[in-house]
Amino acid sequence: MQREVGTLPLAPALRARLAAAGFQTAQELLDTGPCGLSKEVGISREEALEALQVVRQECHGDAARTAGRSGATRKCTALELLEEEQTQGFIITFCSALDNILGGGVQLTKITEICGAPGVGKTQLCMQLAVDVQIPECFGGVAGEAVFIDTEGSFMVDRVVDIAAACVQHCHLIAEAQQEEDLRKALETFSLENILSHIYYFRCRDYTELLAQVYLLPEFLSEHSKVRLVVIDGIAFPFRHDFEDLSLRTRLLNGLAQQLIIIANDHRSAVVLTNQMTTRIGQSQSTLVPALGESWGHAATVRLIFHWDNSQRLATLYKSPSQKESTIAYHITSHGFRDVQPPAVTQSSGGTELNPRKRPRTEEEKQ
Amino acid sequence: MVVLRAGLCPGLTEDMIQLLRANGIRTVVDFVSSDLEGVAQKCSLSYKALVAVRRVLLAQFSAFPANGADLYEELKSSTAILPTGSPSLDQLLDSGLYTGEVTELMGAPGSGKTQVCLSMAASVSLGLKQHVLFLDSTGGFTASRLYQMLRAQTEDEEEQASSPGAGPFALQRIQVVRVFNIYELLRALQELRDRLSQQVVSSMGPLKMVLLDSVSAVIYPLLGGRQSEGLALMMQLSRELKTLAREFSLAVVVTNQVTRDNSTGPLKPALGRSWSFVPSTRVLLESKEGTTHRAASLAKSPRQPTGIQVELDIG
Repeated sequence: MQREVGTLPLAPALRARLAAAGFQTAQELLDTGPCGLSKEVGISREEALEALQVVRQECHGDAARTAGRSGATRKCTALELLEEEQTQGFIITFCSALDNILGGGVQLTKITEICGAPGVGKTQLCMQLAVDVQIPECFGGVAGEAVFIDTEGSFMVDRVVDIAAACVQHCHLIAEAQQEEDLRKALETFSLENILSHIYYFRCRDYTELLAQVYLLPEFLSEHSKVRLVVIDGIAFPFRHDFEDLSLRTRLLNGLAQQLIIIANDHRSAVVLTNQMTTRIGQSQSTLVPALGESWGHAATVRLIFHWDNSQRLATLYKSPSQKESTIAYHITSHGFRDVQPPAVTQSSGGTELNPRKRPRTEEEKQ
Repeated sequence: MVVLRAGLCPGLTEDMIQLLRANGIRTVVDFVSSDLEGVAQKCSLSYKALVAVRRVLLAQFSAFPANGADLYEELKSSTAILPTGSPSLDQLLDSGLYTGEVTELMGAPGSGKTQVCLSMAASVSLGLKQHVLFLDSTGGFTASRLYQMLRAQTEDEEEQASSPGAGPFALQRIQVVRVFNIYELLRALQELRDRLSQQVVSSMGPLKMVLLDSVSAVIYPLLGGRQSEGLALMMQLSRELKTLAREFSLAVVVTNQVTRDNSTGPLKPALGRSWSFVPSTRVLLESKEGTTHRAASLAKSPRQPTGIQVELDIG
């Protein structure tokens, strides 16, 4: 166990004292024992005991891992990851163009960030996703629950009721068209009350509450293991005002980002964040860029920017590990987030009912 | 500053250490630099024993000089140059990634750092059939994209037709470890070092490249604010990476972010001045509006003039 003392997760003051006393590797610490340690370093016996416990945990953790048990570390070959990814589901957005550019929908185990000017539809998409994550697997969904952390107070339950009702209606239409038993059985549990009861809502008023909520989230998620979506609506809002020390803000934001990645990875859920836009004043012109600074841009794995073009809403995929950059148009209707209707409604080859709201993907589901 | 301890070397007993300490000699440096005759008289220890102990301590703790010719021979036999999978990037890096060195890729979000890392991993795993370790700290590793790149590279080289299953084998040679904070990262590097030094024959095989995407994601939560232990951990990490690269002849590639001084300043690499001394080569990636082409420019290199620029296609 040649682990250096400087790399062990101890308190910084204690680390500095151990280094000053001449200890270099973890093995030396373990050999000295708590009495010798407290004498040489000048700390109390309880502190020495605690420190040795941490060291033992680290080193025995190492030994267990080299012996072949890879339970705690997230280690695997790329082939295993590929197989995992191929069986993973996506959370659809009900706008097939957006799903296409995202490669199937919002991906699980990744952080997706939605940036946009006020009123362009970020909260609408979040509410749509909170409903869509609950779609049963036989309809192509992931059958999970949702956690909604609201910092701006823009969550409207009536709107979620509208969106959920439209989603249930849509699934009923599919079930009737396909006439299969399991679809009908799944629909029995997929009702309005059920959908609403599986959206866990948290309201955070400032950044301390938000950080505390994210810190407590892993515990909540291990109790509610069916959660597949965590939405933080308005991650910029608590951090944008009232911060004198900008380096502290960067540090907190980056710590938050790492915690969210750990949550996304360990609990196999998608994390969706919404961000605001700010103006960057350049030499000759000013541009709208996502808020929270340059370093925040690296926190999200997938970044979508919503913007206006005259009166058409557009979504641009700005950053993605596997998809190309592209822009599509979308619509927000009373039923929620939808595609822009093409001017001529072409008759689909499947010959199902002429419902223009039906996504073209139902053709594939019929197989 | 190693403290004298019983068992450090054969002749050093506990009584000797107590006597030495009573006379103000605590560490190895104190012992080796003191006048042994005087010490023998004051501590009433035998001069021969002290000289023997000093010889052993010097052999254990000092560094040995090597001459330039030996160093050159050693480097010639142990350094390898790994192709990155993109001929223009190879040209920028003076024919590829050199083992024994740390190379850094920096760029704004969406500029293609993860894509370039994936293509490097694909090229080494497929072309050279060597193992690759990918340390992912951002969650951006997508195996399906890697598979896409492997397929694209296999089609380029027609001689791969003899091994139709090249794709899955190449994927098996790439090991992915997800580390989301600094201690997990240090632990993973320590495990790697233990495994390599014990030369355990496992599925690891002959490792040639370690990719860390990204280093700023794990270091940023430690810097800033009013606490200063972040810098110490960052330097520990850099020492680990460099000694790994040098001792086991690996090519270490890290990705870094860029920041601005203020909202109108120019882009500069993140993690500050201290980190800028760690990588020996630095490449800046910039995106061009609306295409899959990226401009890569050399910001620091021990071999090539800085400022040369090439175009990459990460599509």
